[in-house]
Amino acid sequence: MGTESISGIETSVPSSIVQFHMLDQLRALARANSLWPMTFGLACCAIEMMSAGAARFDLSRFGAEVFRPSPRQADLMIVAGTVNKKMLEPVKILYDQMTEPKWVIAMGNCAISGGPFKFKGQYNVIEGVDSFLPVDVYVPGCPPRPEALIEGILELEEKITGTRRWPRVKPETAVKG
Amino acid sequence: MTLLAQSQLQETFELNIGPQHPATHGVLRVKVIMDGEYIVKAEPVLGYIHRMHEKMGENRTWNQFWPNLGRLDYLSAIAYNHGYAGLLERAMGIEVPERAEYIRVITVELNRLQSHLLWFGAFILDLGGFTPLMYAFDEREQILDLLESVTGSRLTYCYFRFGGVYNDVDDDFITGTRAFIKRLRPQIPMYHDLVTKNVILMERLVDIGHISADMCRKYGATGPVLRGSGVNFDIRKNEPYSVYPELDFDVPVYHECDSMARYMVRMDEMEQSMRIIEQALDKMPDGPVKAEKAPKILKPPKGDYHFAVEAARGTFSMRTVSDATNTSYRMRLRSPTYSNLSLFEEASRGMLLSDALAFMGSLDLVIPEMDR
Amino acid sequence: MLASEGLPPQKEVVEEVQAAEEGEVDPKAKKKEEEKPRENGLLETDYAKRGFHLDVQVNPDQVVRSAEILDSEGMTMEMVTGVDWLKDGQFEIVYDYSFTGGELFRVVVRCRVDREKPDVPTISEVFGGANWHERETWELFGINFVGHPQLERFLLPDDCDYYPLRKDFKL
Repeated sequence: MGTESISGIETSVPSSIVQFHMLDQLRALARANSLWPMTFGLACCAIEMMSAGAARFDLSRFGAEVFRPSPRQADLMIVAGTVNKKMLEPVKILYDQMTEPKWVIAMGNCAISGGPFKFKGQYNVIEGVDSFLPVDVYVPGCPPRPEALIEGILELEEKITGTRRWPRVKPETAVKG
Repeated sequence: MTLLAQSQLQETFELNIGPQHPATHGVLRVKVIMDGEYIVKAEPVLGYIHRMHEKMGENRTWNQFWPNLGRLDYLSAIAYNHGYAGLLERAMGIEVPERAEYIRVITVELNRLQSHLLWFGAFILDLGGFTPLMYAFDEREQILDLLESVTGSRLTYCYFRFGGVYNDVDDDFITGTRAFIKRLRPQIPMYHDLVTKNVILMERLVDIGHISADMCRKYGATGPVLRGSGVNFDIRKNEPYSVYPELDFDVPVYHECDSMARYMVRMDEMEQSMRIIEQALDKMPDGPVKAEKAPKILKPPKGDYHFAVEAARGTFSMRTVSDATNTSYRMRLRSPTYSNLSLFEEASRGMLLSDALAFMGSLDLVIPEMDR
Repeated sequence: MLASEGLPPQKEVVEEVQAAEEGEVDPKAKKKEEEKPRENGLLETDYAKRGFHLDVQVNPDQVVRSAEILDSEGMTMEMVTGVDWLKDGQFEIVYDYSFTGGELFRVVVRCRVDREKPDVPTISEVFGGANWHERETWELFGINFVGHPQLERFLLPDDCDYYPLRKDFKL
């Protein structure tokens, strides 16, 4: 009894028998390493998304290669390309059809801001998908390289778990190498 | 057509495919009226990736319009670069150095190779075979490395300039290209062994998706679709531009008019592209890669101009109306798959739905190029 | 509609600017000076300079006949284009024809219609491929192709009420 032992208990044993925190961490780890993206190619960036999943870049090293055509089976929406006014409603519907938890990566400048198709007097392009979707990670580029998309997915893993599992590549070493 | 007559009596239903569907390679939507498993009417709905390229042609200066060409048909972007360069060179009367023309031909053909490789992988993926995609992408990455070393980008190239190309190729590129051709050449027979003779593939392609030569003419279909219908037509031969007349190559033509014929045309075209690249590498002279007298400020004389090139999917032609200012008055881009898909409604009548998707794959669609 | 509401004041401004430009520059003396819209007729052009061999301007009611003639010659319709000549108060519809296979010969058929009443007969009966091209031209310019089976929104959303490629288009 006494304050000393109580404080010792507080630090080592949680207040509740059911430990949600660790379970959550475990679930987050599992989710982060098996992100299932939706097969959702809009434009040029979709080809780089395919490249990221194919032979050389091999997205399956990070558990994210299972592209699902159905939004109901997918965790991650990679908006790879320009969204225009006609496509706006289908994208919203697709996002709503995805089951929780779900994340969004805005891939490429078009999805981030309208990219090269943003000019004065433009009549058809949505200037950034963050105007109607909660975007978790932005991957800039026109189109971004597959490495950039992989880095975006690693960033998303970090966001989900709170820790970075894979080493971060420094730009300096990348340039020298 | 007895099927159609019957369908008037029976109950039909409407099926919506797309705009998010893995078999449409992008955001194409097809409204289909079905009679059981058979298609009564399939109407493509476009516009889900309309990006105002023609409007941008009117409010960008001639030079500022370059990046758009890389983003129209991102799989054969260099051929589109060639079309735009040719258009303005015709309008302004700019002479292009010979070395630049050879570099153009080499890069365009490399680009065509990677486009066909990607189509090959994705098409077989549509039909249910996953492995060829990995083989095709492996080869494709080699081409992208080569092109990246000279153009600086992997996909949306902006490499040509009016009167030449942006920069010269180095020896690494030349030796690398030769080594790559040596590597790719034995791969193509392997693809044929792996895929073409496969019974399942034959069942899905042979005698499916019949397009007659006259239907191609009525709809303006070009490229491998037309050549798969027995018409020997290739802009590189029939309306020669650049240094293509000096190079020896054949135009593969198949007379079966079905999906298999279109498949075989593209496979054979890869071989021809390799032949072109090899010859161009041998014949390429030394010299400048940019015209010295190319004007900095472009103001083509008033009037309209037309230029056509053979892109990976067919005839890409540009028509511009110039009013002698630094922007175009009207820029019209005629993309090949737009016309190629327009015959889908007529050709897919009475087809099984699964066959129609295989047929659509054999047309090799790139949706942003159609919608422009 | 929306686009035509802002038409009258802008038209005058453009005319003035254009007139001033022509007085100064005057690049191709004869053809441009005499009259802005060209006379109907047949013009042989230099392929190396223009990219086509024959340039024909016809009345709107001759468009279908010209398509039939070129169809019987075995030519194919490559594209249909609209051009908005705001200063003339006219739309120009341009049809490109060429051979697929055979010799190299490109024909351009063009016709002009009044901007206030842009009616032109459809050639989609002759060339099936013209269906989509005309539909697109209708959508982007508001040129009415009389007899077209399906003049509905194509590239733009179904509910939009503007013609974006008109020169007086403002969103």
